[in-house]
Amino acid sequence: MRSYARILSTFALSTLGALSIVLPTTSMLSTSVWAGQPEKPECVAPAKPGGGFDLTCRIALTTFDVTKTLTNPMRVTYLPGGVGAVAYNQFNSVRTSDGNAIVAFSTGSILNIAEGKWGEWTEKDARWVATAGTDYGAIVVRGDSPYKTFQDLMDAWKKNPSSIVVGAGGSVGGQDWMKVALLFRKAGLDPRKMRYVAFEGGGDAMANLLGGSIQVMPGDVGEMRSHLETGEMRVLAVLSPERLPAPFGSIPTAKEQGYDVEWGIVRGFYMGKHVSDEAYNTYVEAFRKIFATPEFRRIQEEQGLFPLEKSGDELTAYIHDQTAQMRALAKDAGLIQ
Amino acid sequence: MLETLHMLADGFSVAMTPMNLGLVLFGCFAGTLIGALPGIGPINGVAILLPIAYSLRFPPESALILLAGIYYGAEYGGRISSILLNVPGDAGAVMTTMDGNPLAKQGQAGRALSLSAVASFFGGTLAVVLMTLFGPLLARFAISFGPAEYVALMVFAFATLSSLVGRNSTKTIIGALLGLMIASVGVDANTGVNRFTFGIPDLFSGIDFLVVVIGLFGIAELLALVEGMATDTLVVRAIDKTFVSWKDLIAVRWTLVRSSLIGFIVGVLPGTGASVASAVSYGTEKRLAGASGTFGQGDIRGLAAPESANNASAGGAMVPMLTLGIPGSGTTAILLGALLMFNVQPGPMLFSQHPEIAWGLIASMYIGNIALLVINLPLVGLFARMLTIPHKYLIPVIAVLTFIGTYSVVGNSFDLFMMLGLGVFGWFLRKLDFSLAPVILGVVLGGLFEDNLRRALSMSGGDWTILFESVSSLALYAIAIAVLFLPLLMSRRQKRQASDLGEE
Amino acid sequence: MIDRIFAAALFLLALGYGCVALTLHAPFQYDPLGPETWPRLLALALAVASVAMARRPDSDPDWHGATAIRSLLTIGSALLAYAILFEPLGFILSTALFCTLTARYLGADWLRSALFGVGMGVGGYALCAWILALNVPAGLLPL
Repeated sequence: MRSYARILSTFALSTLGALSIVLPTTSMLSTSVWAGQPEKPECVAPAKPGGGFDLTCRIALTTFDVTKTLTNPMRVTYLPGGVGAVAYNQFNSVRTSDGNAIVAFSTGSILNIAEGKWGEWTEKDARWVATAGTDYGAIVVRGDSPYKTFQDLMDAWKKNPSSIVVGAGGSVGGQDWMKVALLFRKAGLDPRKMRYVAFEGGGDAMANLLGGSIQVMPGDVGEMRSHLETGEMRVLAVLSPERLPAPFGSIPTAKEQGYDVEWGIVRGFYMGKHVSDEAYNTYVEAFRKIFATPEFRRIQEEQGLFPLEKSGDELTAYIHDQTAQMRALAKDAGLIQ
Repeated sequence: MLETLHMLADGFSVAMTPMNLGLVLFGCFAGTLIGALPGIGPINGVAILLPIAYSLRFPPESALILLAGIYYGAEYGGRISSILLNVPGDAGAVMTTMDGNPLAKQGQAGRALSLSAVASFFGGTLAVVLMTLFGPLLARFAISFGPAEYVALMVFAFATLSSLVGRNSTKTIIGALLGLMIASVGVDANTGVNRFTFGIPDLFSGIDFLVVVIGLFGIAELLALVEGMATDTLVVRAIDKTFVSWKDLIAVRWTLVRSSLIGFIVGVLPGTGASVASAVSYGTEKRLAGASGTFGQGDIRGLAAPESANNASAGGAMVPMLTLGIPGSGTTAILLGALLMFNVQPGPMLFSQHPEIAWGLIASMYIGNIALLVINLPLVGLFARMLTIPHKYLIPVIAVLTFIGTYSVVGNSFDLFMMLGLGVFGWFLRKLDFSLAPVILGVVLGGLFEDNLRRALSMSGGDWTILFESVSSLALYAIAIAVLFLPLLMSRRQKRQASDLGEE
Repeated sequence: MIDRIFAAALFLLALGYGCVALTLHAPFQYDPLGPETWPRLLALALAVASVAMARRPDSDPDWHGATAIRSLLTIGSALLAYAILFEPLGFILSTALFCTLTARYLGADWLRSALFGVGMGVGGYALCAWILALNVPAGLLPL
């Protein structure tokens, strides 16, 4: 009797196994039904909870919520892996026509695409929806640094490019490295002569700047907000097209000091390549609607971002243009063949 | 000093308002629960509940107090599944399994749980006291640690861990090497080159540490239970009513002090957290105990050391965040994000601009630690009862817990398969008498060592002398050498003394 | 014996890992070691250690015969099936199914197994999704 029960449950377990082979393939076929509004709005943060992509998603979620732009509440899900590569891959395979979900991206994602780090997928393999705002690059030194102005620093570099240790939270070829590489090129220097140290995240780099292990940190303006008043760190230049609003108004841009280098850290959203025009336009329209609201501006500012409003075709053109530029730059620096 | 106490008193008046008191209690309780789920540690607990705290529109100090309660609670909770199930609740609780689980297997789960609660309380409280007194000073010390000093710190950590060598030293080394290899998968932090990813995007950011822990410990333990059931070698324990005694506490008093100090200092340093802290303190205690210890078979010192260290490091990690605005760990990075969400700028100005937040938070840590002790001690019996669940139910329960732990944080089913694969591998390793702790420590320390070594060398432009330039590094190398050779020297001297006596 | 076989497998692993490490190369780098040196050292160390292991193997562990192996294979496959079904079926259904069948296989009667399975599925979901706000898949059920 007992052994009979055992055989039966073994059989049941093997049915479970068989089911497990059949089911995943069938469930993939059931993509969402469309009706004017996304049925289950979802923002995918391609990272662990708490990071920059999470905040990007929360800007969309909170604004849609307070302005009541979407009928159904949006939820945030996480899909970490490869700084967005896993998500990009998934939205090019399993969820390529998922009309409910938007995925957060940043300039870092664009850079990865441009440098071919995400394999076969390019900037043409997504539908770019809208931006959530932007941050800008900043060249930061310690409060008591001998480089009082941006010009001092550039002069020192020109004299000996390897004499100054630069450190930041990203690897060689990453965004922070790119900021300095661009400055090097404007000054006619070889980025390979730079002395660059890659840390695990901006916080680590900042600790090393304060501790004196590194002398210059190419960072973001947003993360400097809390450090401006203390005088512990000084921003020599911002990499924005023009001067930023208070409290950053007194910081000159690199451009006005003769080095025409801009680096924006754009944050925004994309959808899968094969979503219907209807689904895509619904989200584009929804974002255009909230762009005009004061709530959006307030939430954007709370998250430490500056305004940048691009959507639909305009954003797509912008992304394509950016990737082309970055690709040229990476090729030039010898990062890609 | 007097001023500090005055500010602290003000902080207490913030933390003791009924609402904040309620929040810290709730946070501690929820945190304990979250921490008890394998895989969901403080980082995820805080990250997941942060939006909720935000949406409830609490004032910033209340929200922060709630989140800090969760942080502490999760550090406490991590030990429960380590002790009872041999499945670490989070990264910092890996070393707790070493002696905690053997105690539970000997029918002393209650004693182990209550002792670890007291050890956690001790470590946590000592950390807050040190933070109150020396916070800003310590933060200065922490940032003086550059990549070269971290290399020295890792050498020191490896030296203390050499005491973990088991019966077969070759197998210990192989275990550590496998861990180092697991850590090398993913994008190289320095050059951005993919290593051992074979074009699989899920591997670009490496194999998640928690997946390794849950797989190697959780799934492997589950398989070992299944095997035990099939061969009828498992015993279902009666409800055990053991509890920690004063004698136990007196026996571990110096262990607590040493481990809390180690934990706190390691915690203050950005980049090293509870896992390094608990491993180093465990290694140190095992070294010091020498032949008098039964480490690995249920020595209470081996339980008290990692538990006080990981809670002390949780407190230590708060120091650079509050005083400098620099996150020292993943969790404090999220707390920092929380501050920014509430438009509060952390850093040196925090104490002058928002004393109610800074000191309210510090006061809430004192309260939180007491609350955790009060919550946890009565629950010991309840938790220990988990072991009386018949194995036919316990096995699926463990499976579900590991699945939740792996999936819920990351939401990627790829990790489930990775966890299962590692679990089978872990079971096989255990079968061949490998210890799993070196594998885990290889994963933790490997990345830190390689990255910091290469950072130091890029700073110096390839000049190796940078490793020996600072006083801190030299001191660490000296202690490392002492840790390695002192036991040898001591035993030789004892032998000589013994033989001297023999000659006379 | 098994120690020797495993040591051989480790040696092959070291070889494979080392071969991949030989292909690693950064376009350019600022540190003298680059991404390749550390993995190459690890491969070398593992190769040496595996030889050392093969030279002095421990005695074989007790495999506990066919019954234990069969249970392990069954539970192992059930875990694999659970992992495959976790997302498509959702937490409640896959967990209920897995827990019911595993508890039954491990010796509980059908009724208790089913109650336990459904309890784990629904209770687990309620705890994780609603109380702790964790991310668990809803799957087929309209939640």
